Amino acid sequence: MVPTSTDRRERRSRLLGGRRGVVASTTSTLLVIGLLAFLLLLAPGSAEVRHTFFSLNDMRRALIGDPQRGLFSVAGGLVLNIEMFLIAEVLILVLALVIAVIRQLHTPALLPIRLLAVAYTDFFRGVPLILVIYAMGFGLPALNIEVISTQEPVVYGVAALVLSYAAYVSEVYRAGIDSVHPSQAAAARSLGLTEWHALRFVVIPQAVRRVVPPLLNDFISLQKDTALVAVLGVIEANRAAGIYSSTVFNYSGYTVAALLFLVLTVPLARFTDYLVAIDRRKRHGEVAA
Amino acid sequence: MGKKLFVLVAATLQLAAIACGSTSQPAQPSASLDCSIPKLNLQTAGLLTVATDSPAYDPWFSKNTPANGQGYESAVAYAIATQLGFSKNQVKWVVEQFDSSYAPGPKKFDFDINEISVSSDREQAVSFSKSYFDVNQAVVALKSNPIVNAHNPSDLANYKYGDQVGTTSLAYIQSKIKPTKTPAVYNTLDDAVSALKTKQIDAIVIDTPTAQFMASQQVPNGTVVGQFPTTGEHYGLLFAKGNPLVACVNQAIDKLNSARTINNLQTQYLSDYISIPVIQP
Repeated sequence: MVPTSTDRRERRSRLLGGRRGVVASTTSTLLVIGLLAFLLLLAPGSAEVRHTFFSLNDMRRALIGDPQRGLFSVAGGLVLNIEMFLIAEVLILVLALVIAVIRQLHTPALLPIRLLAVAYTDFFRGVPLILVIYAMGFGLPALNIEVISTQEPVVYGVAALVLSYAAYVSEVYRAGIDSVHPSQAAAARSLGLTEWHALRFVVIPQAVRRVVPPLLNDFISLQKDTALVAVLGVIEANRAAGIYSSTVFNYSGYTVAALLFLVLTVPLARFTDYLVAIDRRKRHGEVAA
Repeated sequence: MGKKLFVLVAATLQLAAIACGSTSQPAQPSASLDCSIPKLNLQTAGLLTVATDSPAYDPWFSKNTPANGQGYESAVAYAIATQLGFSKNQVKWVVEQFDSSYAPGPKKFDFDINEISVSSDREQAVSFSKSYFDVNQAVVALKSNPIVNAHNPSDLANYKYGDQVGTTSLAYIQSKIKPTKTPAVYNTLDDAVSALKTKQIDAIVIDTPTAQFMASQQVPNGTVVGQFPTTGEHYGLLFAKGNPLVACVNQAIDKLNSARTINNLQTQYLSDYISIPVIQP
């Protein structure tokens, strides 16, 4: 069913609540913005707060950096966040799928591996990410083993992100796999496909398509959590901002980092909303116009 | 609504820019300074509230107990308090993390003594006393690291350095040593020490007394490679911006200097820590 223009108008008026609704929503929005502006502009300490957090000159200096004076560019740091995010994301998608599939296999001989996969997800979902980063970044080098102990801090950081996030994402995959009706796998088996082939060619493709929005949600979170790798000495955006603020005693560098992270995450968040909307429409039997 | 919000944000930023130039109100030193205790601008009347970070490290403090009067900074704080007329019981210690010591808003201390270097940038946000310690930067490394023998100015650029966020040593590394590898910047000095022990970094650059304490107490097989010539860097007590108490504390520091008290305290607490060979960056 193709949505008609009446449908669209209806949805729109439902959102805003009719003409009276428009007045109410405009008034309430203006009130909230006014209140925020009041807090920022007229509170007794507002001049000091604006100078400390929103000084344009400091924001510019923090953004660009001044390596000669020990000030690192927040924008340059963000490049490292993006690199960590991209590499971690690919590895997480692969590792999480492997774990989800292992937990889904029913071969009796594979029980120990299944138990390992369960223990893995329980452990890494339960331990705070920052502790995983600390343990890997300071623990593995202390072991004094070839290769494993001689990596750059950023490698340990990305490894910790992958281990922790793969546990979450494998659960998202598993939910997707569970959501595919058992008749799909049964039909595939009755056609002579092995359990693995039924999973590989029938169940997983449908499952993955369904969990794209929650997956993207996890990746928005991953983008921000790359900042935690700073505890290993890595100068990413947040650490560059921290160095700036503690060197010149002005927090505006953090504001720059926050804005840059927003620029990074908001488009992905909107894209996720868009996918969710499409998905909802499909489930309701509509076809996107 | 999007447009309105944008206009508002733009207006806010403009106002913020205007406000930048006008927030400072320098302390006016009056000709006749009255530094009797009732006239002092104090957090709590009759008490001198002094802040430092926790843990408080040697040799600046001793046994992480600022109130014991031991360690250089603790001793200096009590000497200043005595000079101002406070008894030992009238000095109250509070914990203040370095990162929040310069936050806007009211302070919970009269002054903070926490190895904080004075700079003109920082003076935009807080007020500092006169120097109570002139700082040199020094290099700590494992005895097995090549930097122990190869530390000519040209060699020094090839090592991986580590530091704690917020130290001026990072600026020193970047401006004088100009290393080819990006330094590692940790949350705490303890993290930097672990990284040094596990060879993630070649060396830590830090003020000489801290470097000597690190090499002798915290890093097995650690050594101070040398200290760099002075750059005029010094530590000052940190006050809320424009706090008139600065003038009286500065007067106290002047008197302690002319009585050679500060000098004697340095000899007493730091002499083992500052006799280190000088190397060139």
